[in-house]
Amino acid sequence: MLWVGIDVGGTFTDGVVYDDATQRFTFAKAASTPGSPTDGVLAVLDMLDCRDLGAVARVCHGVTIGTNAILEKKGAEVWMLVTRGFRDVLEIGRTNRPVLYDLRTLKTPPLAPRTHTLEVTERLLFDGSVRQPIDAAQVDECLAAIPDRPDVAVAICFLHSYANPAHEQLALACAEAARPGGFVCTSSDVLPQFREVERFGTTVLNAYIGPLMQRYLDTLSDALRQRAYRHDVFIMTSNGGVSTADRAKRLPVATVLSGPAGGVAAAVRLGEQRGFANLITCDMGGTSTDVCLIEQLRIPVTDQQRIGDYANRTPQIEINAVGAGGGSIAWLAPGDILMVGPQSAGADPGPACYRKGGTEPTVTDANLVLNRLSPESPLAGGRVALDLGLATQAVTRLGRSIGLDAPTLAGGIIRIAVARMVSAIKEISIANGYDPRDFSLLAYGGAGPMHATAIADELEMTRVLVPVGPGNFAAFGSMISDLRRDYARTRTVNLATAAWSDLDAVFAEIEAQARRDLLAEGVPASRIVLSRTAGMRYLGQSWELHVELPASIDSVAGMQAAFADVHDRRFGHRSSGSVEIVNFRLVARGEVDKPEPPPWPTDFTLAEAAFDARQVWFDGAWLDTPVYDRARLPANLRMSGPLVFEEGGATTIVPPRWSAVVLDHGELLLERD
Amino acid sequence: MPDTAIGIDPITLEVICESLIAVVREMRATIIRASYSSVIYEFDDFSCALFGPDGEMVAQSWDHPGHVLPLPWGVRCGLQDFAGDLHPGDAILLNDPYRGGTHLNDVTLLCPVFDDAGKLMFFPAVRAHWVDVGGMVPGSYSGLSSNIYQEGVRIPPIKIISRGEVNRAAMMLLMANMRVPEEREGDFHASLGACKVAEQRIHRLVAKYSMEKVREAVRINLDRTERRLRDRIRELPDGDYLYEDYLEFYNQGRLDPVLARIKLTVAGDQLIADFAGTNPQVPGVVNCSLAVAGAGVFVAVKATLDPGGTVNEGAFRPITLKAPEASIFDVRNDAPAGAHGEVRKRAVSLTMGALAQVIPDLVSGDLCGSSFPNAIGGWNRRRNRQYVYYESPAGGNGGFAGGDGPNAFVNIDFGNLPSIHNVESIENEMPLLVEGCALRIDGGGEGRQRGGVGMVRQIRVMDTEASYSVLSDRAVIPPWGVHGGAGGAPYHLSVVRDADTVTFDTPGKVTGYPVYLDDVVVMRSSGGGGYGDPLDRDADLVRLDVVHGYVSAERAAAGYGVVLDARDAVDAAATAARRAAIRQARFHLRVVADDALDAYIGAKGRRRVVDLSGPDAAALGAKAGDLVELLGANPAPLRGWVRISEATEGEVRLDEFARSVLRCADGDAVQLRLLAMPPLPNGMAG
Repeated sequence: MLWVGIDVGGTFTDGVVYDDATQRFTFAKAASTPGSPTDGVLAVLDMLDCRDLGAVARVCHGVTIGTNAILEKKGAEVWMLVTRGFRDVLEIGRTNRPVLYDLRTLKTPPLAPRTHTLEVTERLLFDGSVRQPIDAAQVDECLAAIPDRPDVAVAICFLHSYANPAHEQLALACAEAARPGGFVCTSSDVLPQFREVERFGTTVLNAYIGPLMQRYLDTLSDALRQRAYRHDVFIMTSNGGVSTADRAKRLPVATVLSGPAGGVAAAVRLGEQRGFANLITCDMGGTSTDVCLIEQLRIPVTDQQRIGDYANRTPQIEINAVGAGGGSIAWLAPGDILMVGPQSAGADPGPACYRKGGTEPTVTDANLVLNRLSPESPLAGGRVALDLGLATQAVTRLGRSIGLDAPTLAGGIIRIAVARMVSAIKEISIANGYDPRDFSLLAYGGAGPMHATAIADELEMTRVLVPVGPGNFAAFGSMISDLRRDYARTRTVNLATAAWSDLDAVFAEIEAQARRDLLAEGVPASRIVLSRTAGMRYLGQSWELHVELPASIDSVAGMQAAFADVHDRRFGHRSSGSVEIVNFRLVARGEVDKPEPPPWPTDFTLAEAAFDARQVWFDGAWLDTPVYDRARLPANLRMSGPLVFEEGGATTIVPPRWSAVVLDHGELLLERD
Repeated sequence: MPDTAIGIDPITLEVICESLIAVVREMRATIIRASYSSVIYEFDDFSCALFGPDGEMVAQSWDHPGHVLPLPWGVRCGLQDFAGDLHPGDAILLNDPYRGGTHLNDVTLLCPVFDDAGKLMFFPAVRAHWVDVGGMVPGSYSGLSSNIYQEGVRIPPIKIISRGEVNRAAMMLLMANMRVPEEREGDFHASLGACKVAEQRIHRLVAKYSMEKVREAVRINLDRTERRLRDRIRELPDGDYLYEDYLEFYNQGRLDPVLARIKLTVAGDQLIADFAGTNPQVPGVVNCSLAVAGAGVFVAVKATLDPGGTVNEGAFRPITLKAPEASIFDVRNDAPAGAHGEVRKRAVSLTMGALAQVIPDLVSGDLCGSSFPNAIGGWNRRRNRQYVYYESPAGGNGGFAGGDGPNAFVNIDFGNLPSIHNVESIENEMPLLVEGCALRIDGGGEGRQRGGVGMVRQIRVMDTEASYSVLSDRAVIPPWGVHGGAGGAPYHLSVVRDADTVTFDTPGKVTGYPVYLDDVVVMRSSGGGGYGDPLDRDADLVRLDVVHGYVSAERAAAGYGVVLDARDAVDAAATAARRAAIRQARFHLRVVADDALDAYIGAKGRRRVVDLSGPDAAALGAKAGDLVELLGANPAPLRGWVRISEATEGEVRLDEFARSVLRCADGDAVQLRLLAMPPLPNGMAG
C-alpha cells in the first residue's frame, strides 16, 4: 500500500509518498498554482509517480488556501443573521487599539459589513432558556434580502446558541431551504462556546472561506477519483489531527493552520520514536518562521489565536509566527537601526540573488554572501543557480550607509533574523515558565537547518535535530496524523455544590456524541480514543485553565486537586477559594496506521558523501569548511564543525564548537561541545 | 566594526535592546496569568516597565500608555525617599497621587535589582488597577468625591518588603481597608511575581553581556529614541501655541466647568507644555498629577507627530512640563484624583488643539473624551456572592485627513485596552441582561472626514435591586471638531423604568443610584469630532453613511446638506442648493480686540463667557447660558457660554488668549455656532 501526504503552501506544493512494501519515502516539490491549486497537487503527484492512485490507502493533505484567502482578503461575500439588537457585535468588537501611539489608526472592518447584517427577532438566556421565541417567517424575510450567488455565504450567529442551538438550527433549516447548495454555517456548529465576539467572528471567518474551500475540495476529490483513488481525502486541521474532507468543507476555519500543524504533528511523532520528549520546533520558510513548544510529547493546543486581523477561536496548535524567513528584507529604520523583516521579497522578485529584479538584501542573500549557502544551492524544486554577485551588491550597498563591510553586515542580518526567532521562542518558552535549555530544537522548513545552531546558541540549547526531508516535513506530518475532533460544551458549575455523577454525565453525553461522529467517519470502535479536559478557574477569575482529566479522576475532589496542581504549576500559587467549571471539553481521536521510516543505510562512508569544500564565514572569520551530501552521510559517525550538509530542499550548517551525528533512521543530531 | 568607546557593535546593541523589551513582555505574561481581577487580565488595565538606576524608563512593551508614561515619576519618588537605603530583596509599594501615583486604584510595585557587587542595576516596576482600594463606594471611585479620603487607602512610597521580609503589619493594615482582600493579595503577588521574573532575566542578561555593555546599549538606545523625536520637533516652526478646554465639575449639584489651558512652545528641538492659567484644583474628581497630565501631552505628541518606533525615557526628554501648583494638572493634598483618566484625556485634547496650529494635517478631530467607567453592583443571588459590573464603553474617534474617525474605539491614551466585555460573559456571571449594543447613529461629528460614532449599550437589571455609578466627562461639553468639522455627540446616560426615562441632574457623574428589577441602564458613548467642513464631504460618502446607518437621512440633509431621493440616491441639484443655503446661513461676528476683558466666570471653576448683543443672540438662536463655539483661522474652535449684554451688534470682544487660539485680529470675522447642551435642572454655578 501507498500513503500520500501533500502540503499546498503559498510558494511550493510539497509531496511525500511512502511505499510500505519497500519502506521507502519519496519527496517532491512543485510550484504552487494559486489560481487552480489542484493543478499543483496533480503535478506533484506526477513527480512522485502517482498517476494511478488505486493502490493508495490514504491521501492526506495540508492546505493553506483558506489561510491565504483571509490574509489576502479574497474570501466570500458574507451575510450574517444575528440576534435583534446585536447587529454591531463585530464592528464594535472589543474596542481596543491594535496599534499604540498612532492617532491615524483605522479599525479593521468586519468581514460581514453592517449592510450585510440582518437582525432576527429572537433571544435566549445564558442557560439556553428562551426569552423571545424565533419566528421562521421573519427569518425567511431576512433570507430573501440576501443575493443568490455562489460566492455569497451566510453565517447564523445568535446569542447563547452554545447553550441551546435550537434557534440557529431553525434558521439554518430555513437558509438551506431558501439557498440550496449555498454555504451556510451556524455559530453553535463552528464554535459552541460562550463569548460572542470571538464566536461570531470565527463563524464569519468560516463563512468567508467556506465557498472557496468547498469548491477546491470538491475539485480535488473529483480529480483524485479520476486517478482511481477510492477513499476519503483527509485534511490536516489546525489542532494537529486530520478530518474528512466533508467535515473540512463544513468547518474550513478549523484548517487555517493546516500547514504548520502538519510539521508539529510530525515533530511529536519523531520525538516519540527517537526519545526526544521535549522539543521546540522551528519551521523557517521563505517569509516567516513558525515555532512551537512540545513538552512531554504533548501538542499544545490553544483557542486564543488570531489570523491576520481576525480572531479565530477554533482549537489550534499554539504556534508563534514571526515575520522572519529566508526572503525577509534587511533595512534601516530611522536612527540607522538595522531591521530584518517583516517585509519579505517573497517568491517574486525574491532575494536579490534570484536574479528576478530584487535589489534589497534578504536573509538568503546574507547566507550566500557568507558562503553558508552555495551559489549552486540545491534549493526546492531542483538546483537553482543563485547569483553571488547580486547578493554581494545588495548587501554592500546597505552596509556602506552604516559603515559595515559586506560580510560583517551579512553576519549582522543573520544575527538579527536569529534574534527575532529567538524572541518568538522565548515568548512560547520562558514567558510560559519553560526553560529552553530543557528542550531540543527541531529545525525544518527550507531555511530552518541553516539557522538552527545560531538560535540554539542564543538560548543556550545544546541539541538540534534535523529530520529526514526537512523541506517536506509538513507534508509528511499530514500522513501520520490521527483523526482528531475537539468538543467543548459551555456550562458553569461551582464544584462546591456539584455532584460527580452530574459532571460525569455531561462528559458521557459528549463522549457518546464523539463516538457516533467518528464511527460515521469510518473509524473502527477499537481505535477511538477519548480524553477529557475541563476549563476551570477559581471563582472570581475570568481566565480559565484547561485541565486534563484522565480516567483515574472520578470525583469532584479529584478534579479540584487536578486544577490546583495546574494552577500552581503555571502561576506559582494555589488558593483555598471555590473552583468552578466553565466548560466541559473532550478530545476524540481516531487512530490510523502510520508509516515507519526505514533504518538509515549502514554502508555509507564519509569519503563518498564529501563533494566540496569552501570558505565559510563563522563569527567574524572565514574558515575552511567541508561540504557533504546529506543523503550519503554515514550513520553514527561523529563529525566536528565547521561543516555544511546539503540536500534537496535544505542546507544544514554546523559551526565550530558543534558536532553532528546521523542517527539510526537518518535524522541529524547536532550537539554543542 | 565601528565600536564605541567601550566596544559595542550594532548587532549586540539590538540584541540587548530586544532582550530588555522581552523582559517586560515576560513580566506582562506573568501578570496576565496570575492576576485575580478581570480588570487586569481581561481589560489589560496594568503595565510593566524596566527602569535604570537613575529612574529612567529603559524598556516597556505593549503597555497602557496612561499608566506607563507617568511611571518614571513613581520610580523617582521611591528613589528619593529611599536614597542610600535600598537593598537586594526590597520592594516599594505606592499609589499616592501626590507622590508618584495616578489614582488610588493604580497600585505600583518597584523592586530594585542589584549586581553581585551590590550595585543597583535596574528597577522592574508594575502598575496595576486594583478593583477596590477601600473608600466610600465599591470600586473606590465615585463621581462625586470631594476629598481623597473618600477614594480609598493612600499609600505613599513604602517598603512593603525589606531584604526579603514582607512588612506584615503594613500588609494587614492595607488589606483590612480594602474590599475582597483575598483578590487584592492575589494581585499583589502577581505584581511581585512579575518583578521576580524580571530580576532573574536581568541577571542572566548581565552575566552574558556584562553590565557595562548593557548600560552602554541602554544609553545609546535612549539617545537615539530621543534624537528621533527631536528631529521631528525641529521641523516645526518655533512659537507659542495656545489652547483651552474644559472638564466638568459639579459644585453643590450645579455645573461649574473647570478651565484647562495650555501654552505649547516649540523651541528648536524641544517642546514646552505649560499649563499656566489652568484652574486651581477643585474638591471634585477632576484633578491629576503633573506626571499624568504629561502622559496626555506625550501621547498626543507621539501619536500625531511621530507614530512608530520604541517608547522609552529618551522619547520624554524633548518635552518639558509646567503647571501651577495645586491646579487640576498638579494636584496636592487633599483633592481627589479619581478621574485622572478624564483629566489626562483633556491634556490630550489641549495638546492636540495646540498642535493643530502647527501640524494641521496630522491631527484629528477630538477623540471620545472620557474613560466612561460605568459600574453596577449588587448581590447575585444565583451565585450567592457580590458582583460588580464594570465597563467603559468606548466612543468614536476624530476624523483625520486620511480617513473617517473609527467608531467605538478607545482613546489613544488607552492603548490596547478593551473597554467592554462579551455579553455572554456578563450574563453568565451577573444578574444582568444586555438588551442591545449598537452603534450610536448621528453621534459622530460631521466633517469632510466624519468623526466616528459611539455606541449605545443597554443593560437590564435582572435581580431585585442594584446600584449604579458612573464617572464621565464630556457629558455636557462635547468633543470638538477641527477645520470646521462639528463636535461629536456628548456622552449620555439614562435609566429606562417602565414607560419613563430617568436622566440625571449631574450629567456624567452619578454615585450609587438605586436601580431595580427590569430597569434598563442606557449608556451612550460620545462621538469623535469631525475633520473639515461637512459641506465639503463627498456627497456619495454621505449617501453611504446613510446606507450603513452611521448617519440619518435627516442629519445628512441638515448637517451635510446632502439630499437623497426616494431611492436613496444623491439628488445633486437639491444637494447643491441645500449646501449653498447652509453656507449662506452661517453666523459671523466681527472681532474687537479687548485685552482688558475679564472673560471668565465661575464658582470654583472658571469658564469663558461670550458677550453678545440681544439681536445677535437671537440671530444665532442662543439664549443666555447656552454653549457656543467660535471658529477662526486655526483648526480647533474656542468654546464659551453666552451672556447677553450691552455688546455692540455685529461684534464680539475677545481677549488676547482667545485671539491667539483662533488666530484672528481686531476686525476679522469669526464664525459662531450654537452647541446643544443636555438639560441642567440645577443650572450652572457662579
